[in-house]
Amino acid sequence: MLELDGLSKRYGDVVALDGLTFAVAGGRMCGFVGPNGAGKTTAMRIVLGVLEPDAGTVRWRGAPVDAATRARFGYMPEERGLYPKMRVHDQLVYFARLHGLAPADADSAARRWIERLGLVERARDRVEALSLGNQQRVQLAVALVHEPEVLVLDEPFSGLDPVGVDVMSGVLRERADSGVPVVFSSHQLELVERLCEDVAIVNHGRLVAAGSVAELRERGRGGTEQVRVRVEGEGDGAWVAGVPGAELAASGTRGLLVRLTGGGRPEELLDAARAAGTVTHFSLERPSLAELFRAAVAA
Amino acid sequence: MSGRSAIALVARREILERIFEKSFIIGTAVTLVVIAAVAVLPSALGFGGRDEYSIAVADPAMRPVADAAVRGAGAFDAEVEIVGGDAGVTLTEGGIRAEEKPDDKLVNLLQAANARVSSGAALRDAGLDAEQARRALSPEPLRVTTVEPVDEAAEDRGGFAFIAVVLLYGQLISMGYFVAMGVVEEKNTRVVELVLSTVRPRVLLAGKILGLGLLGFGQLLLLAAAGIGAAAASGALEVNGDVLVAAGLALAWFVVGYAFYAAAFGCAAALVSRQEDLQSVISPLTVLLMVGLFVSFPVLDDPDGTLAEVVSFIPPFAPMAMPPRIALGEAGALEVAGALAVTVGATALLIPLAARIYSGGVMRTGAALKLREAWRAARA
Repeated sequence: MLELDGLSKRYGDVVALDGLTFAVAGGRMCGFVGPNGAGKTTAMRIVLGVLEPDAGTVRWRGAPVDAATRARFGYMPEERGLYPKMRVHDQLVYFARLHGLAPADADSAARRWIERLGLVERARDRVEALSLGNQQRVQLAVALVHEPEVLVLDEPFSGLDPVGVDVMSGVLRERADSGVPVVFSSHQLELVERLCEDVAIVNHGRLVAAGSVAELRERGRGGTEQVRVRVEGEGDGAWVAGVPGAELAASGTRGLLVRLTGGGRPEELLDAARAAGTVTHFSLERPSLAELFRAAVAA
Repeated sequence: MSGRSAIALVARREILERIFEKSFIIGTAVTLVVIAAVAVLPSALGFGGRDEYSIAVADPAMRPVADAAVRGAGAFDAEVEIVGGDAGVTLTEGGIRAEEKPDDKLVNLLQAANARVSSGAALRDAGLDAEQARRALSPEPLRVTTVEPVDEAAEDRGGFAFIAVVLLYGQLISMGYFVAMGVVEEKNTRVVELVLSTVRPRVLLAGKILGLGLLGFGQLLLLAAAGIGAAAASGALEVNGDVLVAAGLALAWFVVGYAFYAAAFGCAAALVSRQEDLQSVISPLTVLLMVGLFVSFPVLDDPDGTLAEVVSFIPPFAPMAMPPRIALGEAGALEVAGALAVTVGATALLIPLAARIYSGGVMRTGAALKLREAWRAARA
């Protein structure tokens, strides 16, 4: 379990973090979202020890994180950067060794990641000679080359083409499945919703919502259930009025949106729909992460 | 990973990345050629040997003066040849005519010859025979004795001291630049954040300074060996224990001077994020180095003067001012040790200040920082 506990940081009069607290469990991917300036990058830099917090602690497996622990973390900073004149293989070996790997292990880890990310042809090239896409692969390899126990990535998907997104998601999923807590920030909320089990939403340096994505969406609907239903051969949805607790919220090309309150049950709505015509679509609507995000940030 | 092995790792990268760079290899090769040439050329071109003059005689009455000049030239460490037709200097009736201001040595030589001829004539007129006149005019030369032993190789060592000053200056300024450029490159490419997620800023700075310092030291060692070797082979310099000790001490002064300037260049460079802004923050340091070079030139001429003694104790100048004094044999062991202690002490004070400013500045990107801002940022 990676825990951020009461992290505070200010730059002069600007409060970047104001008692930020949340945790990421091993084997889970956590999307770290929030508007620009919410403090995501500051929080990640503190986790990696690049910045010192004014207050608060970061714990890994229950113990405060120190330099020796951090050597086993993997990091991708928001501001991408590699040594432009250094060759790909040498660069990976260098960072692996900075993370404490022995020379032979660093070499074999570098080769493994070069192979895994399809950079074999480029291993002897200087980074500056690589295409942007390949540079991003090297950047990912640098974060992973020492088999980190914890992965922290700041906007790992920004600037990636769809293939790059697939490679990145695949690798992150694989790391999480091997038991590593993976936390990454992103503005691409659909991506976070698709990839992550957990999400932490920050605003003004504070946590405004956190939990599993499913749980948040479930909670986000409050006491009401919304159902999207499309019935062929039926126009205005007048039949909805016959279902107890059901109320027509909207209608359009995507069908009808029905809100169920006060004990209204989806099964009864479905029965009524089948009686009205041929049901071509019936789904329980949950607020999307984007909707939850807007609500949380606006509050 | 311990701080020490991290420093070694960073230093190793600095050396390996720089040493195979084409510009570094070519620069070293060119400097080697220049040093060898400077060491060999003076004797190859005959500088420092006898001066040779050609004179013409327009007035036959002046012929005896010309002949006397030819005979007496040896005493002036010169050779005179009488040519028919045109020469730069011509003896005319009762005078010397020259196209432009003639060499002082030649004028003195001719005046002495003239004095000899006219004194000889006067002595013969007074009744002395030729032998008596010759003896009167050629007394036993005065014997020169000195209180301090005369060092015959002192002049050669002047050249050695000069090259030492120029090499030290060149090496300090170029390695200082390398440190500064390396710091800004890491900031500019943002790779510094990745590195700082594994090591402390001080470790990164220390590794960079150590690596480039070893590289600069090795390069200087190579240049010194080539220069001394070439000078010894061509006979321009007699290589003895004194020369080797002076060369060794010059290398030691490089280490101290480099530590001082590398720390200063590193922290100055941490204030900016772009190569374009680098010049403005390091120019005070390059000016300081240049002042050190310029005060070392008069020190070469007067190595035991007041200026020499004072600048040897000013830390930014001492690494360039002290080695030539040692080479010229004009600095006592106690004075060398004292100056070294002052410079090492100043460097020991500078390094923690520089490390703190570097730590405060290295993660800040954007506009150039003021020293005070970087200082405060490090405290937070």
